[in-house]
Amino acid sequence: MNNELMIDIQGVHHAYEHDRVIEPVLHGIDLRVRRGEFVIVMGPSGCGKTTLLNILGLMMPPTRAESLNLAGANALTLTEADRTRLRRELIGFVFQRFNLLPTVTARRNVGLPLEIRGENVDGQVDALIKRAGLANYANKKPGQLSAGQQQRFALARALVGRPALLLADEPTGNLDSANAAEVMDLLCAFHRDWGQTIVLITHNDNLAVAADRVLHMRDGRLSE
Amino acid sequence: MLALAWANLMHRKLRTALSALAVGLGIALLLVSKGLANGSIAEVDARMQSVSAEIVILPAQENVIFTNGAPFPGIFERLIARQADESGPLATNVIPVFFGQAHMGGQQQRLFGVDPRQMDLFLGPRRVLAGQVFDRAVGFAELSAQAGRTDSAEILAVDNLSDRLDDGLELVIDDRLRRAGWRDENGIHQEYRLGDVIRLMGRPFRIVGIVEAGVAGRVFAPLQTMRELLNGGQPWSSMFFVQLRPDVDPVRAADHYQAVLGSEARVELKSEYGRLLHESFAQVSMYMSATSGLALVVCFLFILLTMHTMVLERTREIGILKALGMTRAGLVRLSVTEALVVSVAGVAIGIGLAGAAKWGLSIAKPLLTVDLTPALLVIAIALGVLGGTLSALYPGYRAARLEPATALAYE
Repeated sequence: MNNELMIDIQGVHHAYEHDRVIEPVLHGIDLRVRRGEFVIVMGPSGCGKTTLLNILGLMMPPTRAESLNLAGANALTLTEADRTRLRRELIGFVFQRFNLLPTVTARRNVGLPLEIRGENVDGQVDALIKRAGLANYANKKPGQLSAGQQQRFALARALVGRPALLLADEPTGNLDSANAAEVMDLLCAFHRDWGQTIVLITHNDNLAVAADRVLHMRDGRLSE
Repeated sequence: MLALAWANLMHRKLRTALSALAVGLGIALLLVSKGLANGSIAEVDARMQSVSAEIVILPAQENVIFTNGAPFPGIFERLIARQADESGPLATNVIPVFFGQAHMGGQQQRLFGVDPRQMDLFLGPRRVLAGQVFDRAVGFAELSAQAGRTDSAEILAVDNLSDRLDDGLELVIDDRLRRAGWRDENGIHQEYRLGDVIRLMGRPFRIVGIVEAGVAGRVFAPLQTMRELLNGGQPWSSMFFVQLRPDVDPVRAADHYQAVLGSEARVELKSEYGRLLHESFAQVSMYMSATSGLALVVCFLFILLTMHTMVLERTREIGILKALGMTRAGLVRLSVTEALVVSVAGVAIGIGLAGAAKWGLSIAKPLLTVDLTPALLVIAIALGVLGGTLSALYPGYRAARLEPATALAYE
């Protein structure tokens, strides 16, 4: 971990509009995360955690923001193509619902980020799958895997391109405690070895011990 | 990209197969209808080109396909024969043809009334496969002449004359028409055979000869017989072929004949007959093209709908791919690649179906010619690929425009 900022956002607001009714979700979020830092954001359901993560992951633009810098790039001024490129090169995602493509094998799912980049898939993918203890399941399709296995493959996919920033949205939310512990162990092991910045959102207090810093979110506001 | 597209398509095998089949049906319809139109025209043209002549003289203002009756009185034949230059007559043979109709081989046939003595000009190198070519038929003309008739209908009305007229009630058919045959009262297909009697124009005609396919007509009768039965014995004709002296320039000769015969006749080089057929067939051809084109459009709308449904169904997956950094162009490419795979498979199915239809038609309807030329196949492939691409562009564009977060939240 160093003092260089991976995430530096200020005054981020977001509101959803449903049937002409505007529903504010984020109320001026400020957040700074250093490179290599492991931050957990905790908060109840509906407080805006996923919205914040989507904005950090450039998956949706905020309604309004004073600044939104990722790895030194001002995301507010980027074109759609540049945001896509930044997401591809900088960020890995782990989702609560795993979000593996059901049409291809687990191995191919893991290799997708590299495939999209046009990079060679073979060596890295197999090594990562082996390290995740999933070598025997690599040729199965997601529908043939347990929830825990799916999430470990999803984690491998998020990390295969060696992203500098890993965003995890309730990665253990759909797992039992044993599988959740296994996924978190794996996540921590990768963090220890590769030192990527991690922002993980959860409402599970037990995960807090893994983080360098824990933030709390309530009603669209963030606090230490 | 291709592997991902393939995986997506294989995930929904039945839908993929149905989409490819829909495209295949459209392509097959296009190929068969165009192939049938082109094949029929090419086959008729080739048959007309087989006549040993350089010029055709047709009634003006008439469609060459539907020309019937005999608009040219005998004076035309004599006028054509009389044209000469300093070296002698321009024509070595003036070949009158009198058209009639014969329902044979399950469809209406153009019955060629020709002078038996000129049959060799129609046959060329083609062989007589069975029987003979009207050598008895000349007797009919002689009989008519001997009767000294002023009104041939009167002669034909004489009951006991009917048997004697048999000499002229003869047909020569080609081998293709022989195979097309007829259906007996039990619906069983029977080929025509020598000696079979066919009732035409209220009279029993006997098949006396079978010749190799490729001659101008599929069915011939003696010219005089046709004139007796349909034109009161008057020497009128439906059209003429003109065989020129070898040293005569056909173009100049055609111009000369046109000038002499005036606006009643249309004088053309025989080599132009194919063009005349295409012109005459243009409306039918346009209708067939429009019908098959419409079928093709429906097929591509089916692909559009399929791709659109696939995009909707896979909205979450599109969100995943976008989250992983796939570009808008990449998503459009994925969508287009999937549609291309379906289209290429559809084109292959279509070509296969068209080939099967051609084979089936050659068995069931031997008189139909489906001409699947390389050019037509190239057009079908191009249409399939282009249509598939265009059909996928809009769904692909829609997928590409989705915000990843919106797509991932889609249920």
